[in-house]
Amino acid sequence: MTQVTSAAPLPAFQTAALSKTYGDGPTAVHALRDVDLKIAEGELIVLLGPSGSGKSTLLNILGGLDRASSGEVRFHDASLVAMNDRALTHFRRRHVGFIFQFYNLIPSLTARENVDLVREIAEDPLSAEEALDLVGLADRMDHFPAQLSGGEQQRVAVARAIAKRPAVLLCDEPTGALDLKTGVRVLEALVEINKRYRSTTLIVTHNADVARLGERVIHFADGRIRVIETNAARVPPSELKW
Amino acid sequence: MVKARFHPLDRKLLRDVWRMRIHAAAVALVLGCGLSVYIMSVGMRASLERTRADYYAAYQMMDLAADLVRAPDRVAADLQRIPDVAAIETRIGGYALLDAPQIVEPASARLVSLPLDGRPRINDLAMVRGRWPDPAKAEEAVVSEAFANALGLEIGARLAATIHGRRHILTIVGIANAPEFVFVSAPGELFPQPERFGVIWMGRTALARAFDMSGTFNEAIFRLAPGADSRRVSAAIDEALRAYGSSGAYGRDRMMSDRFLSEEMKQLTTMAIFLPAFFLLIAAFLVNIALGRVIATERSNIGLLKAFGYADIAVAWHYAKSALLFAAAGAMLASIAGIILGRAVADIYRDYYHFPSLDFSADAATFAGAWAAAICAVSIGAIFSVWRAVRLAPAEALAPPRPANYARASGVSSALAVYLDAKSRIILRRIQRFPRRAATTVIGIALAMALLVVSGAFPAVMTQLLNVHFSVANRQDVTLSFAAPREIAVMHAVTRLPGVIYAEPFRADDVILRHGRHEVREAVFGLPFNARLSRLIGRYGAAVEPPPAGIALARALAERLEASPGDAIEIEQVSGRRIEARIRVSSIVDPMVGSSAYMNIDDLGRLFREPDRISGAHLALDPARYGAFNAVIKETPALAGASFLRQAEQSMRRTFDEGVGVMNYLYIAFAAIMAGGVAFSAARVTMAEQERDLATLRVLGFSRGEVSYVLVGELFVLALLAVPLGCALGTLLGIWLMRLFQTDMYSFSFTFDPGGYAFAIAFTLACVAAAAFVVRLGIDRLDMVGVLKARD
Repeated sequence: MTQVTSAAPLPAFQTAALSKTYGDGPTAVHALRDVDLKIAEGELIVLLGPSGSGKSTLLNILGGLDRASSGEVRFHDASLVAMNDRALTHFRRRHVGFIFQFYNLIPSLTARENVDLVREIAEDPLSAEEALDLVGLADRMDHFPAQLSGGEQQRVAVARAIAKRPAVLLCDEPTGALDLKTGVRVLEALVEINKRYRSTTLIVTHNADVARLGERVIHFADGRIRVIETNAARVPPSELKW
Repeated sequence: MVKARFHPLDRKLLRDVWRMRIHAAAVALVLGCGLSVYIMSVGMRASLERTRADYYAAYQMMDLAADLVRAPDRVAADLQRIPDVAAIETRIGGYALLDAPQIVEPASARLVSLPLDGRPRINDLAMVRGRWPDPAKAEEAVVSEAFANALGLEIGARLAATIHGRRHILTIVGIANAPEFVFVSAPGELFPQPERFGVIWMGRTALARAFDMSGTFNEAIFRLAPGADSRRVSAAIDEALRAYGSSGAYGRDRMMSDRFLSEEMKQLTTMAIFLPAFFLLIAAFLVNIALGRVIATERSNIGLLKAFGYADIAVAWHYAKSALLFAAAGAMLASIAGIILGRAVADIYRDYYHFPSLDFSADAATFAGAWAAAICAVSIGAIFSVWRAVRLAPAEALAPPRPANYARASGVSSALAVYLDAKSRIILRRIQRFPRRAATTVIGIALAMALLVVSGAFPAVMTQLLNVHFSVANRQDVTLSFAAPREIAVMHAVTRLPGVIYAEPFRADDVILRHGRHEVREAVFGLPFNARLSRLIGRYGAAVEPPPAGIALARALAERLEASPGDAIEIEQVSGRRIEARIRVSSIVDPMVGSSAYMNIDDLGRLFREPDRISGAHLALDPARYGAFNAVIKETPALAGASFLRQAEQSMRRTFDEGVGVMNYLYIAFAAIMAGGVAFSAARVTMAEQERDLATLRVLGFSRGEVSYVLVGELFVLALLAVPLGCALGTLLGIWLMRLFQTDMYSFSFTFDPGGYAFAIAFTLACVAAAAFVVRLGIDRLDMVGVLKARD
């Protein structure tokens, strides 16, 4: 197994002096300040830091949900900064899978249909059955979100995110609303997908223990990268505790 | 300081209302529309009623009248002695053909004599300008105001009149109105043509001389003592005047002017109920939608208030107050708009009804009624939502809501879902999961569409009425009425009038028809077989022949008599020999205008033992010789009147266009507000509820257009469901309304007009599309990150 110990020669993402400011004048909030970062293709990175430290802002900008105030973000050789709304939508559609803390499933669609939703706009998607099987929910496919537990709902969200075989998987506090046991199952699914499809995976968390499964851990504070650690000994999700 | 007086909850209330301002505006507008019509109708009706009562009282409007052939003046003393007769006045009345150089056709006028000894004690005149005629000067005359205005006649103007076969040159000394002529139309005409028909008052001596009636009278008018039994007095009058050719005393209900006013008031009452009821219903729907959403988003606040110790009733009152603010805004709007609308309608009425003055005013009770109705409507709309707030237990309210469970709604849609993409499934399942809300939206949109169907039906019905009446039933150019019945041989002279291409005789008799306990006074017309000009109308607007035997009754007349084909009815002449007979009803006919009885002209002559007598003729004219024809008949003394069908048609169309046209635009505006309001509220609520789902779709990579489909698609599915319902509802309402508006003067029947339905559907869908478009703009502003990170 290839152990990535530093920025790989083929960066998926590259940022330079990336900043994000909300508002202006004395009430301006600097969510990100001069972030320079390279993320290799297929890397699994954990962004760690207290709330308000800028990690989610970075994730949103990398995912094309938000725009930088200044600086540069590139996905391969395309500049996200230069993209208009339509191009960003296309970028998300083709390359990005999102997973949020509160699952954000469509309540009126079954698990299978939630996955089908992205299959409709993807180029070479997995079947809903494959995607749900990957997260261990093959037997719950025809249940509506209201009929699933929180962990199950989050795993449907993971299945939905991976069904289009995204180049990038962005996870914002994916275990934040879950207990240890269900959280571990979700993380196992994420790790497995990263391994199997080489999706560049970023996991935002404020849980230091979760950081142990990342290849690299980027510590955020006050909108800046405080330190980037390379995990010499990654831990499988089953050994995590919180 | 003002701020300090506000309870914090009230401040929250004001902010909530501000947040709901678009919903509030929709509710206020809908209430404003409906209740302004209520205030206008009720206020206008009361204004008309009051103005009429004041006018009648101030100018001594008659209670009873009797027309006769001629009676000596001494009979007046006998009439005065009839118990309960408070006042009596005898007059000489008749008609004159006028030669006004301003118009090509002859005009005509109703002539009324003024008493010898000063002003009339009954049916006094409201002099607008000028003076009373000098009894010593026979040529002096007073003319009615509308007629003078239409022809531009001023004091001192001269007017050539043919009275009783002699030509007179009259000098106008006064211009006036009178309570018996609030509404003026020529005999046989339903609509005023002020340039062609007016009223002329002249001195008694002058008219007696003109009609060779010195020492006699042919009209008697009466005022009764308060509380008098008019039927008994009428019977006594009939008894006293029987020998003088009286056609029977009649009350205000048979006086054209008063009857029109009463019909108008009846229609105002119909309007006061129908439209507002519609709008109140919609307002209740809108409040239900808006408040339901607010209470859903306020769950945690409700829990908090209850946790702090606020009683259920206090929480309920807090939310009910916002609905009451909507009601107040709507009622305020309605009060202002009602006054403006009322004044505009009063302006139209002033052209149509000739009162000395007519001002719109609505009393406090009317406004109070409107406010009460607004409060009732929003309360009904609010009650379910407020009840939900009351029922919510604090602990439950403070916990985040569970995601809506769609498992229950998946039955039918699962079968259908196979054929649909995921976005369409979302639409389908939401409708299925929240059927009550979907139904509310469907019904709201359907009601707006129904209103449009109804408003579109009115012009269609009018067009049908005018087409049948003027193109199928009455194809003559002119109808000549003789001053007195003539022998059929006169038709030779008639056909020799310049420009006459074809002439057709008719006979008309005033009769009393009796069947069982019903008695109706109407006209019976005698028509020839194979008539080409004036024809009877059967079902579905097609011409039919007069009955080969017996009598045909107009449907409305048959209904009043409760008579069917085969029944024998009694018929009695009200003038002449007063012959009574029994005759069998042979058929029911459907004339669009009027509700008379019809017979073959020869049968009618034989029945009244006057074969070969005719009352007038219908003529087809060569348009090239129109001027020559008119020049001759302007000087033909034997004519009592000439009715020009094209002019009658024009005046009827004008009246309909003014009345129905204005109402129609109002209806369309109201329907737009209704459809737009419902669609907008529904779309806003859908948007608010689905914000998270829509943001999710955007995050997943769906474009704005694709996401809009989910939002707009739901609304459009509901709008499409509303189409058949709206059409059906509109048709039923139209049929019902036509019945309400039916009078013995017109018979409306609901006409299916595909164009009207197409317009109603297209216009409603356009309103829905406009509302959807506005709400859809919200998708552009979706805060994807904010929405997704927030917990529900």
